[in-house]
Amino acid sequence: MSETLLEMRKITKRFPGVLANDRISFDLLRGEVHALVGENGAGKTTLMKILYGLYSPDSGSISIKGGKLSIKNPKEAINSGIGMVHQHFMLIPPFTVLENIIIGEETQKFGILNEEKPAEKIRGLMEKNGLIVDINTKVEDIPVGIQQRVEILKILYRGAEILVFDEPTAVLTPQEAEELFKTFRQLTAQGKGIIFISHKLDEVLEIADRITVIRKGQVVKTLDGNEASKSLIAELMVGKPVLLEVKRPDVSPGRVILEVRNLDLKDYRKIAVLNDVSFTVHSGEVYGIAGVEGNGQTELISVIAEAAPIEHGDILLDGESVVNWDVRKRRDAGISHIPEDRHKYGLLLPFTLAENLTLGMHHKKPFVNSFQIINRKKIQEHARRVISIFDIRTPSELTPALALSGGNQQKVIVARELSAEPKLLLAAQPTRGVDIGATEFIHNQLMEAKKEGRAILLVSADLDEVMSLSDRIGVMYKGKIIKEFTREETTKEEIGFYMMGEKEHARN
Amino acid sequence: MDLSFILFFFVKGLEISSPIAFAALGAVFSERSGVVNIALEGIMIVTTFTIVWAAIALHSIWLGVLFAIVAGSLVALIHAVVSVTFRVDQIVSGVAINIFAVGLSRFLSQKVFGQETQTPTNAYLFPQFLGINSMAFLLIPIALIGWFVLYRTVFGLRLRTVGENPEAADTLGLNVYGLRYAGVIISGALCGLSAATLFPSQWISGMTAGRGYIALAAMIFGRWDPVGAVLASLLFGYADTFRIMFETKIPIPGQFVQMFPYVLAVVVLAGMVGKARAPAADGKPYEKGED
Amino acid sequence: MPGIKLRFDRYKLLEIFAPVAGFLASIVVLLIIVIVVGESPGEALVAIYKFSLSSSAKVATILSVSIPLFFAGIAVAFAFQSGVFNIGAEGQYYFGGLIGAMAGIYLHLPAFIHIPVVILFSMAGGALWALIPAILKVTKNVHEVITTIMFNSIALALVNYLVNGPLSGLGQGKSLEPQTAKIQSTALFGKLNGFFRMLGWNVPDYVYLDYSLIVAVITGFIVWFVLFRMRHGFEIRAIGISLDVSRYSGMKVKQLQLSAFVISGALSGLIGLQEIFAIRGYYTYGIASGLGFDGIAIALIGKNSPLGVVFASLLFAFLKQAGYGLQFYTSVPNSVIYVITGLMILFIVVINEIVAAYIRTLRKKEAV
Repeated sequence: MSETLLEMRKITKRFPGVLANDRISFDLLRGEVHALVGENGAGKTTLMKILYGLYSPDSGSISIKGGKLSIKNPKEAINSGIGMVHQHFMLIPPFTVLENIIIGEETQKFGILNEEKPAEKIRGLMEKNGLIVDINTKVEDIPVGIQQRVEILKILYRGAEILVFDEPTAVLTPQEAEELFKTFRQLTAQGKGIIFISHKLDEVLEIADRITVIRKGQVVKTLDGNEASKSLIAELMVGKPVLLEVKRPDVSPGRVILEVRNLDLKDYRKIAVLNDVSFTVHSGEVYGIAGVEGNGQTELISVIAEAAPIEHGDILLDGESVVNWDVRKRRDAGISHIPEDRHKYGLLLPFTLAENLTLGMHHKKPFVNSFQIINRKKIQEHARRVISIFDIRTPSELTPALALSGGNQQKVIVARELSAEPKLLLAAQPTRGVDIGATEFIHNQLMEAKKEGRAILLVSADLDEVMSLSDRIGVMYKGKIIKEFTREETTKEEIGFYMMGEKEHARN
Repeated sequence: MDLSFILFFFVKGLEISSPIAFAALGAVFSERSGVVNIALEGIMIVTTFTIVWAAIALHSIWLGVLFAIVAGSLVALIHAVVSVTFRVDQIVSGVAINIFAVGLSRFLSQKVFGQETQTPTNAYLFPQFLGINSMAFLLIPIALIGWFVLYRTVFGLRLRTVGENPEAADTLGLNVYGLRYAGVIISGALCGLSAATLFPSQWISGMTAGRGYIALAAMIFGRWDPVGAVLASLLFGYADTFRIMFETKIPIPGQFVQMFPYVLAVVVLAGMVGKARAPAADGKPYEKGED
Repeated sequence: MPGIKLRFDRYKLLEIFAPVAGFLASIVVLLIIVIVVGESPGEALVAIYKFSLSSSAKVATILSVSIPLFFAGIAVAFAFQSGVFNIGAEGQYYFGGLIGAMAGIYLHLPAFIHIPVVILFSMAGGALWALIPAILKVTKNVHEVITTIMFNSIALALVNYLVNGPLSGLGQGKSLEPQTAKIQSTALFGKLNGFFRMLGWNVPDYVYLDYSLIVAVITGFIVWFVLFRMRHGFEIRAIGISLDVSRYSGMKVKQLQLSAFVISGALSGLIGLQEIFAIRGYYTYGIASGLGFDGIAIALIGKNSPLGVVFASLLFAFLKQAGYGLQFYTSVPNSVIYVITGLMILFIVVINEIVAAYIRTLRKKEAV
């Protein structure tokens, strides 16, 4: 039996209206990967924030290597040997890799920075762990996969033994994820312990020695890695048997709704982000874009939905070019959009639900009359109808959107975009950050829309989602659709290879 | 035009640039930490009054500048409390402080000197060097020190970190609020040096004439960099020096000549588009902890 | 559901808590200053009362003083609603007032046309002065705070030049203050004092309750209707909440910003109406200054709503009179009012944040 690195005992944390952690006990042994799984809002993040000193628990205790202590802030967590790789990287893009690694842990003389000694130490760490990075490059100039190495180096530099990874594979290709797991094994071989938070159950099964499932703030069970199965974990997470497959309705595709022709776009550094992109989406069809994030998917959506200017090419909706149209005209012509960053683009939080549910249609009759005076009665009627169809939980349609829970806010956006009865629906990461229940709801709504003959362009970093919803799949790599498949003729592994651009290199 | 006249033009320009440059340097520290400091104007109003008041009362301009630095830091502290701790919109806080500062200086002038809009003249002045206020020569070493502190010290690295990504700074165990307080207070202290170089022989209500705002424009034009901000301030200062020295020789009405620095500020900002990037978290209040 | 209704009222109450508490806190500070200066707070309060509320004439004066303050507040508030920070109301009303005065001096029209014309010219002038900062903001992303402040200084120099130079009307008036020619009688604003006396409110002749009061009432109503009952106002408020959401939902955010900015400028143009057309009858660059900055405080205290601005401008008028009262009866200088104003804004915004955090907690508890 190896040494216990960390023991959290009966941690309880209450927020207004929620019991986020209810007597959670969790431990981590030297040399193991212990996965922590649970739905969004189950309490994983809260538990880790408590461990990292960002929250203080209402009750419960934390011991590290047998010694009890209270962690009041991140500094104390770092000093206790805890390191965290956050889901959103905590890096400063305009700083160099070296600067990013040393901030807060600088080598100095009279307050003046010394960069020689840290550089030496970092090189040592890079060699030992196979994490090679050019330390004098700016972080903004290196790819996401490499940025993650910087994050890992950052915590190793601080001598962490307890390493927390919060959804580290969300931004990686399956192959990059494999690389990361190799690093995990190297680290555990050195006697470090890893807490691995993930939604991807396949990965959890592959790498974890133990798996702790939490639901509604409580530990449901801690399983041994080899006694667990995907369906068992899912059931423990949700509390009832889960259908992991989506029923895809059998709809034969109709006419072409969206046609994208030879799109080119360069970013401000004159680097091509879209490179000769062409594809079509038919009515009653889901076209899925697979790819590692940052390969042009966001830009593709923004040129179609947000009227971002393009350099070259054409976008046709029902045979008509829309490139010179603004967002309003595109929406009026039947383009709806579930945005990727719903916090940023989704809702006017202080406005009422009724106002939010008409956003984007608010300028049309019957919501305004010919004198552009708002018809509040019609807006409220519309809202009540949508609220009941989409089962949005709210005291009334006049409640401000900010008073709704996160899951209901998501529903409001999906409901609004579908209630516009679009010809084309753009769904960008539609279930990111959404729990299993809401995911099921959103998937069903998308399939419903497909049945109604709408064309759906789906962009998702979740390959399983793309595979289970799409009729056809295009793989994006470096701004190009390098391969197109029908759902039936491919496998996850094959798509994974294309996502890395591997096949392209092989051919050239 | 003889040589001594040209030399005088150069040193006079330095003197006229200094109040703006010190404030612009201060603005760099505040904004690099993530706090927009539009209160600079108000802080300058307070420091210009304080230096004259303290110099007259204590018979020493050196004590005057010391008090001015302290007063500037204190007013800046208000801005820090309101906008960092209470996360109030930084521009709203700045505007309120500017209103407050106008009232405070007039109020004190009335109570101390019996005159609301100006003080008596102050005879305790800094020594002259090359025909100008010698304090102006401090600008160059202080700008270089500012650059060194920002880019070569632990403090500077951490200050820039909280201005770029306070959340990351928090996870690294840095004291986000403390660093932002430091940035804002440094900007207030530097406004004390603005007062030392802006006509410390008498305080007149309105004498700052928008220099605090022009300093912000200079800082933006200088791309949030200490040396850049000082160079941009020199642009404003020399343009103004040219105006003052040749005003009588220019055949246009005086009021148009007076507009010049303000028009220049607008033109300079309009020309800056897309050429520089503000610190990523500049102007954004940071809420730490339990959400 | 009555339960829900009740809860919403609680939020409404919480929202007016900040202005009220901020006001009270600043009055406390004022009294502390009075004590520090060596005066008795009781006497100070009496002085304030005597100058503000002691007679119907004093109350009428407050109403009169509040008129330009209301225009200043509503102008700034309108821009604020769209997220635009218009610190340029000051310059906009210098310039707008001048254009209005020009129409009053040089156009020959019957009174029932002349008065609306000078109002529209004042608005046009204010709008024009807001136009360049507005264009720079939407096309070049130049922050409006610095440009509008620069434009205030530029406006001051410009009207100074014009009033002293090409538009000088010196020699016509008795005063030596640089000023324009006299505005024609057809463009002058009459008083409503007689009307109020008819209603039983004894407003003496020296108080200016003139046509600008009617303009203020109509303006306030129109602004409210546009903001809260029309699509344009809905979109202006939407961009004030989130540019991203608005852009994403098809709003033309740049046009909206531009229009909110320019309308704010037009409203600023109304600030000088009373001073120019009712009180002075000519234009001078010395028309009451600082009102643009008062407008910022009023908008903040009134939470950018037209009704809030009505209360806030009355409050400010009261404060101004209080300052004169203090100066007249005690040794506390009038400038203390600026100290108090600055502090009051700080108090209000800080308490606002605290209340907002409290409301967030409440809402979270109730979130379904």
